[in-house]
Amino acid sequence: MGGYGDVELITGEGKRLDGRLADELRPISIEVGVLPAARGSCRMTWGLNIAEVAVYGPMEAHPRKIQRPDRAVLDVRYNMAPFSTSDRIRPGFNRRSREISKVTAEALESIVMVEMFPRSKIRVEIEILCAEAGTRCCGITAAAVALADAGIPMKDMLVSVAAGKINGVVVLDLDKAEDNYGQADLPVGIMPNTEELAFLQMDGDLSPEEFNLAMEYNMKAAKEIHKLQMDALKSKYEGGDQ
Amino acid sequence: MVEIVPRLLKDQLSRLAEKDCRIDDRKRFERRDIELEVDVLTNAEGSAKVTWGGTIIYAGVKFALREPYPDRPAEGSLMTSAELRPVANVKYEPGPPSPESIELGRVVDRGIRESGCIEMSALCIVPGQNVWNVNLDIHVMSDKGNIFDACALAGIAALKTTIVPAERYDVGEDYALPVNKMPIMCSYRKVGGRFVYDPCEEEELGGDERVHITLGDDGHVHSLQKGLKGSFSTSDFAEIFKNAEEQASELRKMVEEKVN
Repeated sequence: MGGYGDVELITGEGKRLDGRLADELRPISIEVGVLPAARGSCRMTWGLNIAEVAVYGPMEAHPRKIQRPDRAVLDVRYNMAPFSTSDRIRPGFNRRSREISKVTAEALESIVMVEMFPRSKIRVEIEILCAEAGTRCCGITAAAVALADAGIPMKDMLVSVAAGKINGVVVLDLDKAEDNYGQADLPVGIMPNTEELAFLQMDGDLSPEEFNLAMEYNMKAAKEIHKLQMDALKSKYEGGDQ
Repeated sequence: MVEIVPRLLKDQLSRLAEKDCRIDDRKRFERRDIELEVDVLTNAEGSAKVTWGGTIIYAGVKFALREPYPDRPAEGSLMTSAELRPVANVKYEPGPPSPESIELGRVVDRGIRESGCIEMSALCIVPGQNVWNVNLDIHVMSDKGNIFDACALAGIAALKTTIVPAERYDVGEDYALPVNKMPIMCSYRKVGGRFVYDPCEEEELGGDERVHITLGDDGHVHSLQKGLKGSFSTSDFAEIFKNAEEQASELRKMVEEKVN
């Protein structure tokens, strides 16, 4: 959080700078099977964000020391393309992308039925091609769809979405300016059928009341996004040539 | 490890070659369908997406200000890199860039750089003090064969649509990056004893040596690279060079229609 609470992000009519209401998402589109070399794949656009995810495996886990005798391990990489932000990013991993890869892997391991594939690994490659705040949510949401597209058995879907606070007002799905000058950001990963959380982060400043409202916004948005995930998966198998 | 599948595949490709056939039913010098899209990434100053058969490549251009090289005080510079990320195929492992990845980046870079397509003097702001460095980053998202040609095509198309972001850096007005030439790469693979154009994934797995040819607008050659084990005659080379001239002019037309 930049913490510059004095930057005007909400107009007199309660509209945000891009015209959205407090509990409104940016436009989202989801497409599956977009990368022919992958076993499962997904392209998600979320506002100006673009994420493409490839899933490979289950395959033999190597080096052997990463193998688990009772389950598969998820090998997840979150990577921002050098041209994805306004200043070029040097290729390679940095602390931020490593942390996001780690929490994403742990979130996805909570929904994938990893115990079905002992000693194997499932590779999830998240590439952020265009970044405008909210890329980790976009990556996790797209990764869950790509895993389903790859036919990996899962207990539930996973939707990641964030609510936050700007100018003292709780809002859903912060864009770039709101993220830079806002006061709080609460990204979560919600399993839509059980409403359990498989991913949770937060930074900034929220009162308990504000936290509850932010979670309420997230929960409502997760249901909306879940519908888009399922529509994308169904459209690949419905109404085709089969 | 004995590579059983490539061995069997090699035999199959040889049998097909005897009948002058290819594994995906193409003719020797027939290429797969290409879809070229430009201006696809809002945060890049120029961008392109190439879908070449099942191969998918993104290219994006970014700028940075820097001090010029002492021997060229009034010229900007170009840095091209291509990354073979593990997203692109199950065969690519994470980690530092592999020799294959470095070769790809350098071969694509040479074709674009040596063609002199970018007017480097147009990238000078204050001679001896401040010039633009152009970063062309090429991202391989799906490798189903012939990523070299697809990377080169995405790269030149991205440069052709690039706007120099001078206003954002407070050094004057934005202007279109002057790209006056259009280098095009054409790649051939020895499969079953003869060269084919635009190899698919199976042909790369079960094939032998490869040759990459980059040609400029005037038919001049700007970069050549032979890769992998194998050797070929000068008459073999003459045949593919002649074919490359035809392929390059077709691809050049495709880019021109897209960017103008």
